[in-house]
Amino acid sequence: MAKQQAKSGDNITRWIVIAMVSLVVVTGVVFSMVSQSSKENASIAALDGTKLQPAISSSIDVKNGSAIVLNPGMTKVIDIWEDPQCPVCKNFEDAIGGYVDSLIREKKATVRFHVLSFLGDESVRAANASFCAADEGQYLDFHHALYVVQSPLENSGFWSNDKLISIGKKIGLKSKKFEDCVTKESKIDLVKANYESMSKFGVQGTPTIFINGKLWERTSNSFDVGEFSTAVEAG
Amino acid sequence: MREMNTRYQPYVTLLARLLLGGVLLVAGGLKVTKPTDSANAVAAYKLLPTNVAHLFGYALPWLEVALAVLLIVGILIRPAALIGGFIMVVFTAAIASAWARGLLIDCGCFGGGGEIDPSLAAQVHRTYFIEIMRDLGLALAALYLYFFPYGKLSIEKAAPSTKE
Repeated sequence: MAKQQAKSGDNITRWIVIAMVSLVVVTGVVFSMVSQSSKENASIAALDGTKLQPAISSSIDVKNGSAIVLNPGMTKVIDIWEDPQCPVCKNFEDAIGGYVDSLIREKKATVRFHVLSFLGDESVRAANASFCAADEGQYLDFHHALYVVQSPLENSGFWSNDKLISIGKKIGLKSKKFEDCVTKESKIDLVKANYESMSKFGVQGTPTIFINGKLWERTSNSFDVGEFSTAVEAG
Repeated sequence: MREMNTRYQPYVTLLARLLLGGVLLVAGGLKVTKPTDSANAVAAYKLLPTNVAHLFGYALPWLEVALAVLLIVGILIRPAALIGGFIMVVFTAAIASAWARGLLIDCGCFGGGGEIDPSLAAQVHRTYFIEIMRDLGLALAALYLYFFPYGKLSIEKAAPSTKE
């Protein structure tokens, strides 16, 4: 089977076409990279003017997967399993986070936050910093700030420890203790313990929410605060 | 047999170009406006270091569109088919490897991508099979174009009076 032969003498045109195609691809890549990183840096500006809320002390519930517990000992208990990089967790926070905050601040429920980190290194660092913020009594503030600035690109290099510290500074977490805790990744054992407790509690993805130990399954396509609050009040 | 091939080859070549070029154009076009999703989709295969995967994800939609344009208008058909066929083989291998490692992901072939809820496992496995068959089919079209690049409606034409 003889191969078809091309006209000879169009070698220069051939190379020009190849060069132009390569140029289009390279330009596309550079454009995507630049726009991604400028979006990420601009997102931090969205935290401007954030005021630190009154501190709420928290503890670690070793028996329940080393979760961060706020308001221990209430009759209603909500377990929230999230990974700071998970985009659907951001949707949950955007729609329902305010209601969960009010349950905590008005002492209506015990809330256990299981901070997971199965989406990669940046989740590990963000989870560590979340435990550091919890030590300062500002877990909710930091948790909210992480979702405000969450990058749509996972593990993009955005959540370095330095960046996590500057996110903390933006919202008023300025203590040296917080900074050291983030830099030294002092809470890495808790991060691991949370991750490893997933299988014990049958959690396969995020966000997973239990209300009084019962798995909450939404029926609407997007997260609906009305649907969630009804489920919480029914217990 | 050879006679039949000579007679229909220009049309088969056109069909193969439109098939491979058309699929690449749709796949690349849908992803070109969402580079972040594409980068995430490649990273979800967990085959490359994260930053390399992101670069590949950014480049892929543009490469697909470029190859599609070349194939559809008929310029540099043989190199375009070669690269197009090669990436189809790479996609096939990547999907097969995701399947073998028990990953449950959306291939991200036409945009989207990322992990899928474990409750949909059976459906995902069927999708993997269909995707592998589709990509192998497209690789065959590319192989045909490598041997018979010149046909109807093409800017590049075969040199006149070549020996068969």
